[in-house]
Amino acid sequence: MPELRSAPAANPARAVQPLQAIAGFAALLREHGLHVGVAEQQAMVQAALALPLARHRQLQAAWRAINCHGVADWRRWPDLFARYWAPGTLQGHTKLSGQTRPSRDLRQVVQALQDQLSADGGGSPRGTTGDQAPDTALDGPAPVSDTPGAPHTRGGASATDPLHDRALAQWLPQDLSRLQQLADRIAQQLRQRLTRRWAAASQGRRLDLRRTLRNSLATGGVPAHPAWRRPRQERPRLFILVDVSRSMELHAQLFLRIARAFVVASVGSAGARVFVFHTRLAEVTPLLQRDSSTVQEKINAVTAGFGGGTRIATSVQDFVQVHARAQLRRGARVWLLSDGFDADPPGALAAALAAVRARGAAITWFHPTSSAPASAAALAAQPQVQRFVRLCSLRDLADAAPLLR
Amino acid sequence: MAGSAQVSQASSPPNILGERLHEAGYIADEGLVTTLWLADALQRPLLVEGDAGVGKTSLATALARAGGRRLIRLQCHEGLELAQAAYEWNYGRQLLAIRLHEATPGQVKEADLFSREYLLERPLLQAISSPQPCVLLIDEIDRADEAFEAFLLEVLSDYQITVPELGTLTARQVPQVVLTSNGTRELSDALRRRCLYHWLDYPGLAHEINIVRKTLPEAESALVEQAVAFVQRLRGEDLGKVPGVAETLDWVRALHRLGQVKLPDDSAAGTALLQHTLSCLLKTRDDRFQVTPERVRQLIEGRRSVGVAEKSGA
Repeated sequence: MPELRSAPAANPARAVQPLQAIAGFAALLREHGLHVGVAEQQAMVQAALALPLARHRQLQAAWRAINCHGVADWRRWPDLFARYWAPGTLQGHTKLSGQTRPSRDLRQVVQALQDQLSADGGGSPRGTTGDQAPDTALDGPAPVSDTPGAPHTRGGASATDPLHDRALAQWLPQDLSRLQQLADRIAQQLRQRLTRRWAAASQGRRLDLRRTLRNSLATGGVPAHPAWRRPRQERPRLFILVDVSRSMELHAQLFLRIARAFVVASVGSAGARVFVFHTRLAEVTPLLQRDSSTVQEKINAVTAGFGGGTRIATSVQDFVQVHARAQLRRGARVWLLSDGFDADPPGALAAALAAVRARGAAITWFHPTSSAPASAAALAAQPQVQRFVRLCSLRDLADAAPLLR
Repeated sequence: MAGSAQVSQASSPPNILGERLHEAGYIADEGLVTTLWLADALQRPLLVEGDAGVGKTSLATALARAGGRRLIRLQCHEGLELAQAAYEWNYGRQLLAIRLHEATPGQVKEADLFSREYLLERPLLQAISSPQPCVLLIDEIDRADEAFEAFLLEVLSDYQITVPELGTLTARQVPQVVLTSNGTRELSDALRRRCLYHWLDYPGLAHEINIVRKTLPEAESALVEQAVAFVQRLRGEDLGKVPGVAETLDWVRALHRLGQVKLPDDSAAGTALLQHTLSCLLKTRDDRFQVTPERVRQLIEGRRSVGVAEKSGA
């Protein structure tokens, strides 16, 4: 019993412990994924010491600049700050019961810090910050977290759930990041094509005589700065054609997500272009490039005027003759994401895909069904398709990754 | 890192800095002023991120003007090299010195050729060796290569540059460093942790009106208010390239030059004028296509919300 009584008496004994409070705040930030190290903590103390007491409200902005290292941190800051320093002002948040937290007042903390400084004889601020702040940080007091290190904020979900295995009806953020990683990997491994041209490169193997001579002018004709070149390599162009007809309604969502991952992955390298079709073809690459929650709505809007049914052959023809006319060259990859049900005459699709092949592009057909599409059109087109790949979950894409080169 | 950076006593309190910035023509909110002050007090570089056109670069120029300091600017681009950013040996002059020495019997020593007088100072070295405190603006750091970013770490944390032939040159006066980034590439954690961070957002309505008034004092008040309100609403649209403050200024300037005292009305001539000047705000074909004359009218009409009393009175 005496222990129980002495514990609360020691901690909030009306004597504010500023360094502890700041360390606790740092612990909270760390818990929420901000990179707050000893250096940041020291800087926070320094900022608190440097600001006049009357301006302690500005400390929020100062600490924000110190602790945030990116936009994501920046956006979350006001909430985290309020949660620690003014939990009463937050609305609509779950409040934990049974946990008594010492009341914190930023003004008091600053006051105490500055008092401490003057009590130390007005020496250099490093006297306090250099010696004490790291200690408190290393102690890891974390007054907010009930059991340090315990995964109490996960809401009962474990991180190792095999989420990538289920059919893609619901998406969680970690699924999306896995998909993005996968897409990055596949986009990276698309086989690069050597060209006959040469590009300037500091690590190249062939001397760029013309540029070396030009550089040597600065050194009076002494070629002190040789310039080098290496063969230029080109990443293949990637075209993704997504079937968004009624029969594909369930899968279009997944396919568009995957397509978006490739658009984002290949910015600057492969430059994937995405088209959607059912009775007509429309390009949606610009819509996918922007990270907007309304992508699906926009795609719906784009395809709103389309009639019922699917006309794959017409769409592919349109793709070859109009949209990708100048870019469909040797080495291009065309990915067709469809179930193969076509309202056009069965031979038309084979002819359209043959036109794609004639340009030197390789065609891969992704189908959501367990076996390759068996419609008449798909069967007739089979010789033109390099590979059929099943795709109805993230795992399928991961399995197919080694084949997609 | 932070341990070495002592709080400099000479720095003026944040409010004075804010006033000086205002005099220099830059209207900053309290958070930004505090951050700038802190960057100066802790002698840490400041990384400013934000969309294009929110005033990242003009922040640095205004900061230099407010402090009466010289602005040294390093514009980053792909393939930026040490020779363009930090220093370069003046080969021509070195060769000339050798030739001159060949004529005279005295021997030329290597140390003579690799002294400061043969060193061409590029922006980073200029900032380090400047005898007066200056503002160093490293613009669009995300466009430079990762290798260059790694080189910057030494400059930004210790304010020194190592020249192999000369040794390490340390700053006489620590420059105030502002880095800007558009986020076209993710910056390394090492760089981020050496800097204070500020995200510049699009200004709010009142803030932007203040900015436009300060920059274009000759434009009519009604025009400024209506135009800014329109741009603010336009930013809510789903555009590929959201107009920034610079675009607002361009547009108001254009309308003012055309002799407008307020936004053009619904007449055919007014609509045409509006459509023609919108090219100041909308910079891509898709955006022009998306913002149709009807949509423009809707956005403008939103500027005047008809109150209940007025409605019932009509």
